[in-house]
Amino acid sequence: MSLERPDTVDDGAVERTPDELEALLGDLVVDRDDHLNAPGFVIRPDTVQETLSILKQQAGYDHLSVVSAQEYENRYESIYHLKKYDDPTQEVSVVVPADKDNPVSETAEPVFRTADWHEREAYDLIGVEYEGHPDLRRILLPETWQGHPLSMDYDKDRPQIATLPEHANPLEEHHKDAESDTMFLNIGPHHPATHGVLHLKTVLDGEQVVDVEPDIGYLHRSEEQMAQSGTYRHQIMPYPDRWDYISAGLLNEWAYARAAEDLADIEVPEYAQVIRTMGAEMCRIAAHMLALATFALDINGDFTATFMYAINDRERVQNLLEDLTGQRLMFNYFRLGGVVWDLPEPREEFFSKTRDFLDHLPESVEEYHNLITSNEIFQMRTIDTGILPPEVAKNYGATGPVARGSGVDYDLRRDDPYGYYDELDWDVVTEEGCDNFSRLLVRMREVEESAKIIEQCVDLLEDWPEDERNIQANVPRTLRPDDDTEIYRAVEGAKGELGIYIRADGTDKPARFKIRSPCFSNLQTLPEMANGEYIPDVIAALGSLDVVLGEVDR
Amino acid sequence: MGTAPAQLFPEFIVDTLGLDSVIGEVAASLVAAFVVGNIILAFTGVAGPWAKRKVTAAFTDRIAVDRIGPYGLLIIPAAAVQLLAKELIVPEGVDRPTWDIAPILLPASALLGFSVIPMGRIGPINLHLADPEVGFALVFAFASIASVSLVMAGYASSNKYSLLGGLRAVAQNLAYEIPLIVTAMSAVIFAGTLQMSGIVGAQTETLATIGGVAIPSWYAFVNPFAFVLFLTANMAEIGRNPFDIPEAPTEIVGGYQTEYSSAYFVLFYLGEFVHIFLGGAILAVTFLGGASGPGPESIGFIWFVVKIWGFFLFTQWARAAIPRVRIDQLIEIGWKGMLVLSFANLVLTAVIVGVIA
Repeated sequence: MSLERPDTVDDGAVERTPDELEALLGDLVVDRDDHLNAPGFVIRPDTVQETLSILKQQAGYDHLSVVSAQEYENRYESIYHLKKYDDPTQEVSVVVPADKDNPVSETAEPVFRTADWHEREAYDLIGVEYEGHPDLRRILLPETWQGHPLSMDYDKDRPQIATLPEHANPLEEHHKDAESDTMFLNIGPHHPATHGVLHLKTVLDGEQVVDVEPDIGYLHRSEEQMAQSGTYRHQIMPYPDRWDYISAGLLNEWAYARAAEDLADIEVPEYAQVIRTMGAEMCRIAAHMLALATFALDINGDFTATFMYAINDRERVQNLLEDLTGQRLMFNYFRLGGVVWDLPEPREEFFSKTRDFLDHLPESVEEYHNLITSNEIFQMRTIDTGILPPEVAKNYGATGPVARGSGVDYDLRRDDPYGYYDELDWDVVTEEGCDNFSRLLVRMREVEESAKIIEQCVDLLEDWPEDERNIQANVPRTLRPDDDTEIYRAVEGAKGELGIYIRADGTDKPARFKIRSPCFSNLQTLPEMANGEYIPDVIAALGSLDVVLGEVDR
Repeated sequence: MGTAPAQLFPEFIVDTLGLDSVIGEVAASLVAAFVVGNIILAFTGVAGPWAKRKVTAAFTDRIAVDRIGPYGLLIIPAAAVQLLAKELIVPEGVDRPTWDIAPILLPASALLGFSVIPMGRIGPINLHLADPEVGFALVFAFASIASVSLVMAGYASSNKYSLLGGLRAVAQNLAYEIPLIVTAMSAVIFAGTLQMSGIVGAQTETLATIGGVAIPSWYAFVNPFAFVLFLTANMAEIGRNPFDIPEAPTEIVGGYQTEYSSAYFVLFYLGEFVHIFLGGAILAVTFLGGASGPGPESIGFIWFVVKIWGFFLFTQWARAAIPRVRIDQLIEIGWKGMLVLSFANLVLTAVIVGVIA
């Protein structure tokens, strides 16, 4: 990796104005196409690497959040949404138009490793070809798929027939030649430890992993396309619950709410923001409890008591969420401009239930520390396994507990504040270990921070004057954001940076709706952690990544 | 006390029924073996579908089976019918008859081990089938056959997970069988015999009297270090947490038993449970005074049952609480740690016994 170049000038903290950036890029910029969140520079499709290198090396834009591609009437377009890990409010979009008839554009993979999967997805769904990409195959759809579903001329009525010879059974493949003494092993798509339908193509040398390649897409449900055919105001909000469905629903809803509210310039009442903040942190606790529970399954085996204990605690917070939203899994509680209804009556009962839960929580966390983190066998298994150095994590666009477990101090709740977070007293948790143990520890400590946030929210809500409890801003029945406005906005989901890119075309439905899934980027780091380790370490690393396939595949 | 060896179970039948011919002795032996085998299988029947679930549920704050019968006990016949009624799926490419022999070999080898275990008296009957002079060596030999079964299953299944499980089973058993037997040998040094009744008999003497309570000279009290060492090695021998590596469902699906279903699956499970009980029985005989305990000698069998079920509960506790070690860590613990400690224990014991005697 070319991380340490002599000409590296890492002045990431320096904020440059759009004009200074344009001056820095010089002739590379052929046009400006500013987005609501960031200045946008249009460049030629053969200068992608050069442009991104300059921005990364000389301007400190070290985080490629997402690559969103789309097709226009007259061209294809890929957008590289860049940020800084040190300050994610400094954003820049690199817009790369490509020829309508021959959509070829240079790959960004040598500059940002994370572009590998993002560009494969753009190729798969839109049809942009990335020149120089090391492995430009379909990623979400089967290899035999005909056409690119999000492109304009895609015929969705045409049946997709994957004939048997084409769609070969991977079990029958002979992944062995006369020379090698390695063994090919399919871990998944159905396996006790893949946390969903994930397929790991693994090459083993004895028990040691030579190579592991995650094969995703088994749970692809066209979430982006469905959002594109729904109206902003009402029809999109139920879908986010189904991305990271492990009870992180409100966090996902917030991602859409934030992007759409900023796009349509909607101001959310403060009271609703407090409720959102509280609900979102409850979801985070539920999600982290499940991560802890399943990680214990992976390490201890399937009769472990820790699993049921953590599920039990998750159940408590799940009950609170049920009281708040009326649902246990698919909450559909946020609305653009607020939330759907106020706290449940009687309010005192809800507050006392919440406080009971918060009072009980430290005891539970202590118990988990007794049961697992202070167990010597557990430490033997998790410390110094699944190493992800911070530079590698950044290069892959890792976010959330995965990045924070590698000491990357990046949390959008603090760094790019939204909701009520900046008014509250809490800390961002980081651990320096870079291993499976650190990632678990980050989650366990984050649960305690979330509890702090919830407690402050409850205090605020309890004292909120009755006549100022405004849960919903005035939002027009039909939203039609201005034509050709584009926005990328992200929130800190349970697994990391959950972002939404929306392009409006003047109608009441988005012209392009792109989901930046944190799990998608985080899962890409698995080979870095797993290669050279033993099978149990791969399982542990996968568990510590805490991927939800519903969000990876969308 | 040092009582004379008690009358064995087959001899008791011969005497009671007056069967003096060779055929009579053979028949009596078969009847006795049938009785003992069924006692063990009955334990397994209770442990597998019911007790294990109840115990695990108690550890994990759940209720478990309680729908049919008192305390859900009728789940035992229900599970038996359900498991045996399932389709036996024979995957393509399995290596028969190896694939078929493996699930029979596992419970058979474990059951065979009980032929030399003195299980104590119940009334006039002494539940002990045979007492050869090398009984102690024999029981380990029988228990070791289990690994052959696991390798057969792993190799014959034509499945990569099974193969990995089989390989792990071999590696694990090599790493742990030697410390296990070397540690057990320290008990032999104390007793001065390989005969099961002799080892049990040597533990009946009083070690010390504390506050009027006589502490018997069980080897667990005489040499607690060897006891802990043996207990650990025994967990690896029977493949339970933290050493359930050959199965490791979250890693290699089910290891050697991945491809087995229906009756074969039941046989494997049966074998594993019998193996746990055999492990408990060896532990009881070697370190916990066999069937001895308070009260008359004629209820010894009850104490024996308490001891092996106590060991069973211990394995379940370990399953609920202790993480699994990695295969390379296990081998390291076995070869670099346990082996050294067990030899140290053996030499020390030999020196101490030599000096005192």
